Amino acid sequence: MAVEPSRRVDLAPMQPIFAQVSLAKALSHGDFMTKGVSASRPLSPHLQIWRFTATMAASITHRGAGIVLYGGTLLLAAWMLAAAISPELFSVVSGVAQSLIGSIVIAGYVWSLAFHMMNGLRHLYWDSGRGLAPKTATMTAWLIYVASFLLAAIILWAGFTARGAA
Amino acid sequence: MSHKGTSTFVIQRATAVLLIPLGAWLLFSIVAVLGADYAGARAWLAQPINGILVGAFVIIGAFHMRIGMAEIIVDYIQSWMKDVLLVINWLVSLGLIATVAWAIYTLSFSG
Repeated sequence: MAVEPSRRVDLAPMQPIFAQVSLAKALSHGDFMTKGVSASRPLSPHLQIWRFTATMAASITHRGAGIVLYGGTLLLAAWMLAAAISPELFSVVSGVAQSLIGSIVIAGYVWSLAFHMMNGLRHLYWDSGRGLAPKTATMTAWLIYVASFLLAAIILWAGFTARGAA
Repeated sequence: MSHKGTSTFVIQRATAVLLIPLGAWLLFSIVAVLGADYAGARAWLAQPINGILVGAFVIIGAFHMRIGMAEIIVDYIQSWMKDVLLVINWLVSLGLIATVAWAIYTLSFSG
């Protein structure tokens, strides 16, 4: 037998009142401060229990790439400084830049710049209040990994090829 | 750093917008240029377009770098080292601007 609509106890209109009461309690520092309610409040999850997600990886990579760009830009400045000071100093710095380790550092810098710029665009898009839905953010994270690898590969290939030709 | 949150946020975004075209330009030049010899490197940097754009990239980048690195420092360091690292970060960024400005000036006017 169906319950008549008029006999139902509808709690919906009451909810804002409950919310106000509990908010008022919290703000008054009443039982919140004195009775140790904080013990039952949820703890922020620790790093090792976060599930791996593409958005999390992109966020960490953005920071890592930023650190690489910080160091790499100092090295670029050292190269420019050496070119301005003397041929002897330049041959030392240029020798390091053209070694295997130097080429690996350049490759790391190029990919970091490609990733950081593309993910920076993603951040600017987020700042406009768009692209924040989990599905969209996950898709753009993957997109930036793929696109930045492709762009870096093309630039490195073209750049090292142009060196040989010059 | 306190009470400067909004201007820091705005400078970080404004420099980001400027660095996107500058970074794209740098990406397409830098790999070949870093393979140049002494005369080639000096000739490239002495070209006004190259000197101006690489100078703008590094100097605007220094502002962006300082804010980004300061954000990382305050996120992970809570001891007295935090203030030391923030000062070092500030000095490195200033040093970078001075170094690159001097280098481009010297390369442009030494003939």
